[in-house]
Parts: sequence; structure tokens; C-alpha cells
Amino acid sequence: MKKVIVSVLLLGIALVSLAEKKVLHVYTALDVDEAKIYIEAFEATHPDIDVQWVRLSAGEVLARLRAEAGKPQASLWFGGPSDTYIVAKMDGLLEPYTESLGWQYLDKKFKDPEGYWVGIYLGFIGFVTNKDFLEKHGIEPPDSWYDLLDPVFKGELSMAYPYTSGTGYTRLATLVFLMGEDKALEFEKKLSEQIHHYTRAGSACVTEVGLGEVAGGIAFAHDIIAKGIAKGYPVVLSFPKEGTGYEVGGMALLKGGPELELAKIFYDWMLSAEAQSLFKKWYRLPLNPEAELAEGLVTADQLPLVDYDALWAAQNRDRLIERWREVTGY
Amino acid sequence: MRARFRQLKFLFHDPALLLVVLLILGFLGLFVVLPLFKVLQNSFYYKGVFTPQYFLEFFSGHRYVIRPFLNSLIVAVLVAGLSTLLGFIFAFADVRANIPGRRVFRWIATLPIISPPFIMALAAILLLGHNGLITFFMRKYFGISWNIYGLPGLILTETFAFFPLSFLIMEGVLGNIDPALEESALDLGASKLRTFLRVTLPLATPGIAGSLLLVFTRSLEDFGNPIIIQGRFPVLTTQIYLAITGMYDVPLGATLSIVLLVPTVLAFVVQRYWLSRKSYISVTGRPSTAGPPRVSSGARWFLFGTVFILSSFILLFYGMVIFGSFTKLWGIDNSLTLDNYRYVFTVGIQYLSNSLKLAAIATGIGGLLGITVAYIVTRKRIMLQGLMDFLAMVNFAVPGIVIGIGYILAFNTPPIQLTGTAAIIILIFISQRMPVVVRDGVAMLQQLDPVIDEASSDLGAGFFRTFTRIVLPLVSPALIAGMAYMFAACITSISAVVMVVSPKWYLVTVALLSQVDIGALSIAAAYGTVIILVVLGAIISMDIVVKSLLQRGFSRLGK
Repeated sequence: MKKVIVSVLLLGIALVSLAEKKVLHVYTALDVDEAKIYIEAFEATHPDIDVQWVRLSAGEVLARLRAEAGKPQASLWFGGPSDTYIVAKMDGLLEPYTESLGWQYLDKKFKDPEGYWVGIYLGFIGFVTNKDFLEKHGIEPPDSWYDLLDPVFKGELSMAYPYTSGTGYTRLATLVFLMGEDKALEFEKKLSEQIHHYTRAGSACVTEVGLGEVAGGIAFAHDIIAKGIAKGYPVVLSFPKEGTGYEVGGMALLKGGPELELAKIFYDWMLSAEAQSLFKKWYRLPLNPEAELAEGLVTADQLPLVDYDALWAAQNRDRLIERWREVTGY
Repeated sequence: MRARFRQLKFLFHDPALLLVVLLILGFLGLFVVLPLFKVLQNSFYYKGVFTPQYFLEFFSGHRYVIRPFLNSLIVAVLVAGLSTLLGFIFAFADVRANIPGRRVFRWIATLPIISPPFIMALAAILLLGHNGLITFFMRKYFGISWNIYGLPGLILTETFAFFPLSFLIMEGVLGNIDPALEESALDLGASKLRTFLRVTLPLATPGIAGSLLLVFTRSLEDFGNPIIIQGRFPVLTTQIYLAITGMYDVPLGATLSIVLLVPTVLAFVVQRYWLSRKSYISVTGRPSTAGPPRVSSGARWFLFGTVFILSSFILLFYGMVIFGSFTKLWGIDNSLTLDNYRYVFTVGIQYLSNSLKLAAIATGIGGLLGITVAYIVTRKRIMLQGLMDFLAMVNFAVPGIVIGIGYILAFNTPPIQLTGTAAIIILIFISQRMPVVVRDGVAMLQQLDPVIDEASSDLGAGFFRTFTRIVLPLVSPALIAGMAYMFAACITSISAVVMVVSPKWYLVTVALLSQVDIGALSIAAAYGTVIILVVLGAIISMDIVVKSLLQRGFSRLGK
């Protein structure tokens, strides 16, 4: 018996201590299937680096960085709206990096002036609805925020919590920019009564709508196309005529991260035209002007957009979320 | 006082024992008490200032604070009642009615105990969700539709997951009731129903109470099912998880944890220190020879029918997970494929091997530690014995999610910084699952005559020698069984470790959950099937090893 225990222990220790090649730890707010595309491509071009990564929604990455209190387990974070990156910068959780070529070519709208974060793509909030549901009820896809309050959608909508999800917070902030704070919260309260359930991840509702578990949801357009339409689910993408919100998808080095030099290699690569051309696989709009674009891509000039002030959204994030929880009770 | 002094002297006479006792107490203090203390501390501090603000808010009734508490209680009470009822019917059918096929039913009923709890929620969605098999059938032929998310789904999945616990408890209790008592009542002219109501049921009352309390606790601390199927019915565990992982609102998470901890620990204490003394064991001093009294054949068929239907549902649930794991895109394209397994064995293999590695290490350490604690607690009359017993067992009652938060709060910053390491997961496994080994070890040691190891001590063997040469070999079957269950519990564990997994140490259960999150039910089902097979494999090989050990032991005795 003693021998068994000892050998189990030794085996365990031996397995744990097996040495590996250079490892880069990464947090990403992109969908698991999507993040895999970029990470595998990076590993293919950098065979000496092994990327170990965890997918968390943007709000969850922020919560985890706050929990890790300056000693993060990862060195880089990519994906998720810039609001969350700005909050992380204000909390002193990011490491500035201005030497990257990409940082220099980017328009100043799309990066932090001091280099704490950088934009890699643009995304627009849209509605996803199930075709069969629309046909069954003889209605058109929603083209106004207020269409979502139609009794036909009662208990049939799915969307993300504003605190866990960058998509969810972009939705909340968009409504504030559109209607003013009090009206926006009142609207969210009514919306919460139409809800089937809230999700932690912003793109989760796309699959749920595709499967018919719910009739409709609010998500980023690229997720709706990539996870819904392109996969063959019976879903429709539509936009609110009053105006919709958008995100600058971010990337940043994490202050105190264990392998910042490796992280810079990934950072530079992610800003390259080669890497951002891969965005077409997920119908994302790249910020590198030389990157190839996907067909059927949603671009800014096709849509009525609200005046989305990411800095204000970041500065008021904790307060808005507290108010949101207060009025909705979730 | 004098006795205490004698104990102390005794301890100093055996420095090895003293050292072991101090080490274990130190370990328990650091990895069991400290995290819980941190949770308590943080529930009273807001931005560095001591204040009961969140408790005040709790009682003044913030909707998002009080509602999950009430929801949790509603679910726990209903699930405890239903599980106990079903467990009683199952046990009664097994022990008293001798229904046909009882061995098969017994095997089916224990399946949910060893599989990950959230398998039930996954199966419920595959079966009763919008695209579920039963939903589809009912909608097509009867035009009936429903919504499985929320309270109904929680009751259904948790009852299926936890009624086997009630069954095992009730089986033990009913088996201990001397049938002669029931026979006497029948002989004295009482009807079968009257005998059941006036004799059997009162004798089974402590078991019923125990089952109610245990399932109540399990339901309160369940995380895997609610996170998948709660819909718009938030419960405490999921809200704690969201407060920490979604907002890092530590005071809120800690306060909700205390709110969750109070009823679970209360139930644990009542069960362990009060109820256990109230058991009516009807020992008559001689082995009972009377066979089980026959229930009326009507009752027997009713019992058989109930047990049969219930068992079929359990098998259907598991079958659904296995079937789902072979479908291309659940709900849209149900054609069969092996792609999900290809995914699990390429992308997921790393997570699976992490889970196996860490669970194996934790089981090795936890098994040895647990049996040592069990030995000291049952055999050695030392000071602090009760304390050691309580500390080693208390995490039995502490919800995993609370342990998880405690570890984040205690070990995120120096002096002991463990975030992101394998160690934090191993330590959580040990502190959360070791109670199983302690409990089994105590049960085994209480059956062994202390004379055997006392003889060894009297012949001059020290603590280590007695422990390794006499005690360990004697308890090895129970230890191996306890360790196999601990291993299974570690592999299927999610609620505590979901808080501390890192890019480097990501676990298979968390990977399964993230697939459910994005609606990839087929891949989730494949993960689930693989986990169940691993756990079944561990339990079955344990069974074989224990049986061969026992046989060897007996043949040696025979010589």
C-alpha cells in the first residue's frame, strides 16, 4: 500500500515537472472557436512558442485582473471592447507598449494615447432573430430597439449580463448614449421582463437563437454572422434604425505578466496585415488598412451609429452596472 | 485537568505522534480555516473599513441580494422533500418488497452519485429543452410545449442528481430495522398499512431527517446544474460566482457566501452531532432470522412500477448524453459523427490530462492524510482530538463555491501566493474531498479491535511503525475505496475550482461548462461521456483491487 502511494506521488511529481518549450499565457474574450484560429496561426509561424490560453468574457477578464492584483497569470489580453481596457488602464493593470509598428500606424481613435491598449478590430451591435419564429408569427425582423419590447418576444430573448460581458456593457452604454441614462435604464428594465435568461458570454445568444431555444438576442454583428448565418443556423441579422453602438476591439499587455517579451511578439503579430486578414474568417472588420476583408462584411458607413464615447463608458462602468442591477434585479 | 495533563505527557512520550498531530493541525489551519476566515473577514469590510454594510443591505432587501437567497431555499426544500420521498420508495422496494431486478435498479440508482452533477442539467436540455427529444415529440403530436429553464429544471435535475443519496441512507436505515418488530405488529392484528405507519415509519424517522438535511445541503451548494439551467431563477451559488468572476465584488461575494454557509453548516452540525445520537437502532442481541415481511402484491407492483419508471428516466438521461455526443450539431443537424470526440481528444486532451494529474496527486496526498486523521481521531486519546475531527470534516458542509472564494482571498497575495499554480487546485481538492476518506477510515477503524494496534504499541513500536505496519495494511481496502471515490469526486468537481483555474491549469469540467455556455451541446456531451467513463473506470478498478485484497486477506487468515 505504501509503495502504491509513494509511486502515485512520484509519478505525479514527474508529470508536473516535465519541462516544456517557451510558454506564453494569454486571456482572450473572443469565442473559443475563433481564438483558436489566431492562436494556431501564431503558433504555426512561431514554432518555438506555445500559447496557453483561457477564454473569459471581457468583464470576467477585468474581474480576474482585479483579483490577481498586479500579479496576473497571463501576459496578454486580446478581444473585447476598449471600454473594459480603459477601466483596466485606470486601475493600473496594463503595461504600456508604444514601440510596436502597428501602434504607430493606427488612427488615434483606435488606440490609447499612451500605448496602454491598442485596437485590432471594429464591431457593431445588432439583433439576431430566429427565422422560423418570425415566419410562425408573421413578423419582420426587429429594426428598432422598441420592437424588442413587443409582447411576442416575452420570455423569448437572450442577451448578456452587462457586467460579465463586453457585448452586454456595450449594449447598455449604447442605450445610454441613445436615450439618456434614466430612460436607458427604464428600457433595460422593460427588456429584462422580456428575457428568457441572461448569459455570461456576449455571443452565446447567437447559438441559442439558432437552436430555437430563444427567439431573439442582442450581440455583435460579426458573431451573428460567423456563429449563426455562416454556420447554417436559421437566423437573421438586423439593426436598430435609431442607431446602434460599436466597439473598438482591444489588445493589451498585462502589467506584471510573467512573459512580457513573448507577449510583445504576439502583440506585433496580431497587428500585422497577415494576422488581421484572418479576421475575415469571423467576419470581423480589421483595423490594419492592408488586411483582407471578408465578403458580406458590416462596415460603419452602412449603419446609423450612436456617438459612442468609450472613455465615458469606461469611467461610468461600475456606477452604471450598479444601477442596472438595482433596476433589473439580476 | 489531570487527565488532560496525562494526555499531554503521553503526546510528549511519542514525539513522532506529536509532530504528526502538529503538522496536520497546521495544514488544516492553513488550508481549511484560513480561507473560511478570509471569507468572513471580507464580508465585513468595505473598502478597508469594518462595516456590516452588505449584511444590512441584505436584510433591507436589495432585490439582487435577497432574491437568490429565497430562490435557493425554495429549491433546496423542494428537492430535499422529493429526493427523500423517492429515495424512501427506492429503498423500501429494495429492502422490504424484494422487487424483481433489484440489483439492477440499485446499480442504476447509484450512477448519479459518481457522475458529475451537471450531467443532469445537460441531459435535461438535450431531452426537454427547446430541441429536446421529448419536447419535439410532445409538440408534434400533442401540441404541448414548455420551458425547462428555471425552477422546474432545477427541481428535476437536482432531484435526479441527489435522490440516490437519500436512497443509500434509507437503505441503511430500513435494513437496520429488525423485521421481527413489524412481524409482531402484524401478528398482533395490525393491518399492513397500520404497521407501516405506526412501526416502520417512526423507526425510519432519523434516516428521513438525515436524508432531508443532507439533500437540503447538497441542493443549496449545487453550482453545476443552476449555472446551466437556472434561466431567470438565480440562486446563491451562481450569484456568488458572478459577483466574483464577473465583477470582482469581493464584499458582495463574501456576504452571499456567509448567507449560504449558515444554513449548510447548521444542517451539517444538526446531522452530525444531534441526529446521529437519536438513531433508534433496534438491536435485539441476536441476528434476526425473520425474512422481510411481505407487502401486499398491489403495493409491490406499485413500488416496482415507480422504481422502474424512475430508473428508466435515469438511463434515458445518460443515454441522451451519449447520443448527443455523437451528433453533428445538436438541434439542427442530428446526423452521427465522431467529430466531437476528435475535438475532445485534440483540444480537450490537455484539460483532461490536467484533471487526471491533479486529481491523482490530490488523492495520493489526501488519502494518506485522511487515513492518518481517521486513525488519530479514533484511536489516540489526545487533546484537540475533537477539533481535528471537526476541522477535517467541516468542508464536507462548506459549499465548494465558498471554498473557491476563500482560496482566492487567502492565496492571491503573499505570503502564500498560489494563484495560477497546480498547487492551489490540488489543495482545494484535498481540503474539499478528504472528508470522504476520513469518514470511510473512521468507519473502518471503529470495526477493528483496538487491541491489535495497542498490542503493537505495548510491544514498543512507535506511532509511525504501528501506523505503517499494522494500521495501514488493515485498513487498505477501505482506504483504496475511499481514495477511488475521492479521485472520482476530484475529477467531477467544478464549483470550487472554477474560481481558480488558470491558462496553465485548465480542467475538463470547466471546459465542458464553457462549451455549454456557447451552446456547443454536442461537444459538451462528448466531454461529459468521457468524464463518466474515466470515473466508472476508476471505481470499477478500485472494486477489483479491493476484492482481490480482501480475498488475499481471507486466504491468509485461512492458513
